[in-house]
Amino acid sequence: MGISHLSPSRPACVAAAALLVVACHPAFASWFSKGQPIPQWGLDAAKTHTPDNAGDAPAVILFDEYLETIDGQGRAIEREREAIRVLKPQGRGNTCEVSYDETEKVNYFRVWTIAADEKHYQAQDTDFTDRGDTDVPIMLSTRKARIAHPPAVDVGATIVCESEELMEPYLQEKIWGFQSGIPVAFEALEIDLPPGRVRTDSWHNHEAIKPVEIAPNHLRWEIRNQPALTLRDIPSAPEWAALAQRMTVQWGDAAVEGRDNQWRAIGQWVTTLEANRPDPSPEITAKVQQLIAGAPDFYTRLSRITESIQKDIRYFIVMRGIGGLQANHAADIFRNRYGDCKDKTTLLISMLQVAGIHAFYVPLDHRRVVVDPDDPSLIGDHMITAIELPPDVQDPRLKAIVKAKDGNRYLIFDPTDERTPVGNLSSSLQGCYGTLAAGPSSQIIALPVLGPDANGTERKGAFTLAADGTLTGSVDTIHTGPQGADLRTTLKYSDEKERREALETAIAHDVPGAVVNSFEFVQPPDLDKPLELHYKLTAAQYAHSAGPLLLVRPRVIGSDVQAFNDKPRAIPIDLNATGRWRDTYDITLPPGFVVDEMPDPIDIDVDFASYHSAMTAKANQLHYEREYVVRQVQIPADKALSFRKFEGMIMSDEKGTAVLKKQ
Amino acid sequence: MRKATFLALLAFFALASPAALHAQFQEPTKEELQMTSDPKAPGAAAVYLFRQETTDDALHFKSYYERVKVLTEKGKELATVRIPYEVRSFKVAAIRGRTIHSDGTVIPLATKPSDLVDVKTAGYQRNTTVFTLPSVEVGSILEYYLQLRYDDNLVSEPIWEIQQPYFVHKAHYFFNPSKSDGIMNSRGDVLNKLMYGVHAGNDAKMVHDPVNHYTFDIADVPPIPNDDWMPPLNSVNWRVDFYYTNYSTGAEFWQNEGKRWAKEANRFANPSKTLQQAVAEIVAPGDSEDQKARKLYDAVMKLDNTSFTRQKSAAERKNEKLKAIKDAEGVWKEKSGYDDEIALLYVALARAAGLQAYPMQVVNRSRAMFDPTYLSTSQLDDDIAIVVIGGKEVFLDPGQKMCPFGLLHWKHTLAGGLRLASSGNGYAVTPSNTFLQNAVQRIADLSVDTDGSVKGTVRFVMTGQEALRWRQLSIKNDTEEVKKQFNESMRAYLPDGVQADFDHFLALDDYNNNLIGFVQVSGGLGASTGKRFFLPGLFFESHSKHPFVAEDKRTIPIDVLYPKKDDDDVTYHLPTGYSIESTPQVNTLTWPKHAMLKIYSSHMTGAIQISRSMVYNYTLLDPKDYAELHDFYQKVATADQQQLVLTRTQVAQGN
Repeated sequence: MGISHLSPSRPACVAAAALLVVACHPAFASWFSKGQPIPQWGLDAAKTHTPDNAGDAPAVILFDEYLETIDGQGRAIEREREAIRVLKPQGRGNTCEVSYDETEKVNYFRVWTIAADEKHYQAQDTDFTDRGDTDVPIMLSTRKARIAHPPAVDVGATIVCESEELMEPYLQEKIWGFQSGIPVAFEALEIDLPPGRVRTDSWHNHEAIKPVEIAPNHLRWEIRNQPALTLRDIPSAPEWAALAQRMTVQWGDAAVEGRDNQWRAIGQWVTTLEANRPDPSPEITAKVQQLIAGAPDFYTRLSRITESIQKDIRYFIVMRGIGGLQANHAADIFRNRYGDCKDKTTLLISMLQVAGIHAFYVPLDHRRVVVDPDDPSLIGDHMITAIELPPDVQDPRLKAIVKAKDGNRYLIFDPTDERTPVGNLSSSLQGCYGTLAAGPSSQIIALPVLGPDANGTERKGAFTLAADGTLTGSVDTIHTGPQGADLRTTLKYSDEKERREALETAIAHDVPGAVVNSFEFVQPPDLDKPLELHYKLTAAQYAHSAGPLLLVRPRVIGSDVQAFNDKPRAIPIDLNATGRWRDTYDITLPPGFVVDEMPDPIDIDVDFASYHSAMTAKANQLHYEREYVVRQVQIPADKALSFRKFEGMIMSDEKGTAVLKKQ
Repeated sequence: MRKATFLALLAFFALASPAALHAQFQEPTKEELQMTSDPKAPGAAAVYLFRQETTDDALHFKSYYERVKVLTEKGKELATVRIPYEVRSFKVAAIRGRTIHSDGTVIPLATKPSDLVDVKTAGYQRNTTVFTLPSVEVGSILEYYLQLRYDDNLVSEPIWEIQQPYFVHKAHYFFNPSKSDGIMNSRGDVLNKLMYGVHAGNDAKMVHDPVNHYTFDIADVPPIPNDDWMPPLNSVNWRVDFYYTNYSTGAEFWQNEGKRWAKEANRFANPSKTLQQAVAEIVAPGDSEDQKARKLYDAVMKLDNTSFTRQKSAAERKNEKLKAIKDAEGVWKEKSGYDDEIALLYVALARAAGLQAYPMQVVNRSRAMFDPTYLSTSQLDDDIAIVVIGGKEVFLDPGQKMCPFGLLHWKHTLAGGLRLASSGNGYAVTPSNTFLQNAVQRIADLSVDTDGSVKGTVRFVMTGQEALRWRQLSIKNDTEEVKKQFNESMRAYLPDGVQADFDHFLALDDYNNNLIGFVQVSGGLGASTGKRFFLPGLFFESHSKHPFVAEDKRTIPIDVLYPKKDDDDVTYHLPTGYSIESTPQVNTLTWPKHAMLKIYSSHMTGAIQISRSMVYNYTLLDPKDYAELHDFYQKVATADQQQLVLTRTQVAQGN
């Protein structure tokens, strides 16, 4: 159970998202137990004072307690008790909800309100709504959420909720997310284990807390006055889920000493779950043999197979009970030609197996640093592939390589990324952690952060400026690496009209009133070749007269500025992607005009990035060039000052104005 | 798909035999298989080769049959089909599908469709049936047939959405209506006539044959329009609406339904003795009509408007021993009601004060445009009030909390509906706001430093819709939240590098006065060269995204919601050692009878004031006006990019 505004953002692929959901409830009126008074724990919780750190929060969780009762087979029954006080009108939406799937069973879900005038109400069956997970067009999910709309929820009211649920049979861990978008006054987790069953706990972004053993093998952790985590108005912020504090209790195979052993157990579990799923069918074998026939080298064999999956297998998510974690059989995926991340990975492993290449599942979360090496768990929403590289393969095109603890090299590849060529890796996955599910060799791995040359854009513009300020010219752009892949993906899912509108909107941001005369995207069939964009534009009054002067901005198109502000910073800064971006613009001046003044060049180089720009005037030409290089995907908060200065200088350069005067 | 609506019906139909209709899949032609693009839909991701919808009340089923040609990767999305349906009345009876590759290979749908819960409450459940056609490629033809059966005691009023996300080559619609003469509405009226409205942009005609079958064939249907600043979709999309009625003509319908509505509205807005006593305490005998109207307006504005707060549940009402509200007097006694109840209460109070006052029920223009040819009162959403002051009708919106006297919320302007009047009741359209009613003034006082940084204050003075928006937001949120949202909204028009920090509002809860917001701004604004310093000439507009600039053509009407006037006055206090070299050019751009932009500046010692005034005096425009609109906004966009140029003086250079 959780409050509604805490729902995680929509994952890119929901291979393991079921494990993020912390409670559930089916929809039968008998479970509401009409006419029950508010339990004593709820009455006590409602007496809690609003904590001082509530600030301007719209609501506060006064009490939130989980009790996980584990049976002899390791299956959990989860009880949650929660009390939420509404502090502001906009806090009325903070209600209780439980989510459930077809393999779970909810024993009861009761909700009451202690109104602002102290009157008591119990939610009736008409005060609940079930909502399916049906709003994503490319997803089929059997998960549902039951949402309470209790009466009398005004400012000052307290909502009291209690539910009990039999959890997924395979789930032998509890991920306790004890930080929320609103403050929490008191929260607790109890784990009641059968005699002799061992457990481990691990923490993410929080110091470990020792539990109290309130009965034999029955442990309780408590946390008080947890502040809200809100990223509103914080530019360039990492993912909320990566920053939010949590802890994990394991009581299954992963309840072993040592983080490495825990990750090994998790990887082994995934390996077992997906065992035999990649077994190739005769049709798969025939297809692979056809694909790799005559391939001269490893890269060619590999890329023919990966491109086949990227191009021919449509992305479609299927989440149905454990089907949210377990892939379909490779033969079915190949026949239907659609599947989600785990399906695509399965088919890829299968096809590579035919080609004599070993590959493995890598479950992870597509949001950077949500998976934490210090907090082993199944948390995540995505599945990609680790391809074992033979020792003799040393190909510079294969950049996204991880060296595992056993000395093997693995190429990291995301088969759901339909446009990033094998060897490269989408920027969003760089810096993530994932589980290499390789049976007894399973381990946590850090996905590589690639160098700037693996990604970027080179843009060249040639323009002519008329004396009335009209700018005409052409722009030629080359996009490489993940940036090119992202653009290819955008093109894939857009039509001609949408492309034109997107291009016009982007240009209008820099050159309001510009007219795109023509444009053309050039997409070579090979994904490792860059994507090109060529267009012509006309912008009336691009340069403005100022008395006898003509003012022109040499940086015509494109911005390298990342969002920033001057407020104190306590959380890391996400730079999004490494890469190298170059702009070169030549503007032919109107007859009779010469450059009177130009902005100073910019030259700044810090550890995470560099920016150089320069402007020259020769004869009747104004030449501007700049290069922006990003070397890291995330920097700590203590570099905020350096980051602000850096971004401020880029912004200043982008505003730079050249002054032309008539001779 | 839109779910058909159903009417209450006596369950005396003879049991129909099970549906035997099974659409035969159509063999693709060679041309269809080889098609790689479509000259009728250039650049389209897919096209519908054929669509068919059948509704058969005799056999109690509804079916869909589609053939789709996939032309690009994006078009593959159509391989996943989602059909929502209401569970209590429908069940999925048949699904068949196949994918045909461009070489003619046929791959049948073999996977069982999934039936997923969309939404379920105590009395309602909507599910979605989902299936994905296999092995789709660019060039494939996707083909499926789906049949939903419904309860025997239901009849349908089909709504055929003719336009689809992609171009449709041919479509066939068929309706076999119920033969029953016992169809009734919720009032128990026998609905003995089946009517329909056709909204299609070509010459397609409905065929009604002698055996009472309705058939509609159409070809070359363009995709659903999708543009910024579009009027409500119901005014531009192609569709056919069927409905049962007991009237023969539109005039008869609106006259009679108008009478029925008027009777109920008058009953609710009865100026009872209790209300007359209340009025006597609010207005003075010597008050003018205008004073009375305003005092009563203020009185109803003070009530709890539950459309903006929260309606009490049945359990709360029972607990508080509150009676059901049946009329205006009940609203007054409880000091609480929802928007329409409060509007009618105002009418009742005005009548009790001796004013001529009439209710009007209008369409909500943020949802739809009123369609008088669609004979259904379900399209009318909200109640407003009309009072006669000094012989002149004044349209009021007392149901809209915080709406000032004399202003209609924009969603109730240019809105058609039913009204009462001294001459009787009938169809009418509300007036538009004027641009003077909706004004925003932005007054900035900014000090510029030699390093290009800027610091200062901005005062926002808002009247009309903009003030109403923030005030209504403040009912559902506390002031801190409104401040945050105001801050966030300002990012859209502050120059890059400048940050806003909202300070406070004045008159946030006083709808009769201008709403004023005070903001502190700071950040990097200027750029410099060796001798000069550059500042954006139009502080608030240099970063704005101007509408109607990027696209040079438009085929559907334009709706800007309401007319408006924006006035900016920006004073830059110049850094020491700099003088003004050039200011934005004095500029007046006009689009006669529609819009105007004025830019001018004035110098003073050590400072310059730059003013910009933008007026647009239209709400809805025809596509034929787009060329002029586009031209005007292109000029505005470029005019707003002008710069202020400062020159370093000799003294400053020496420093």
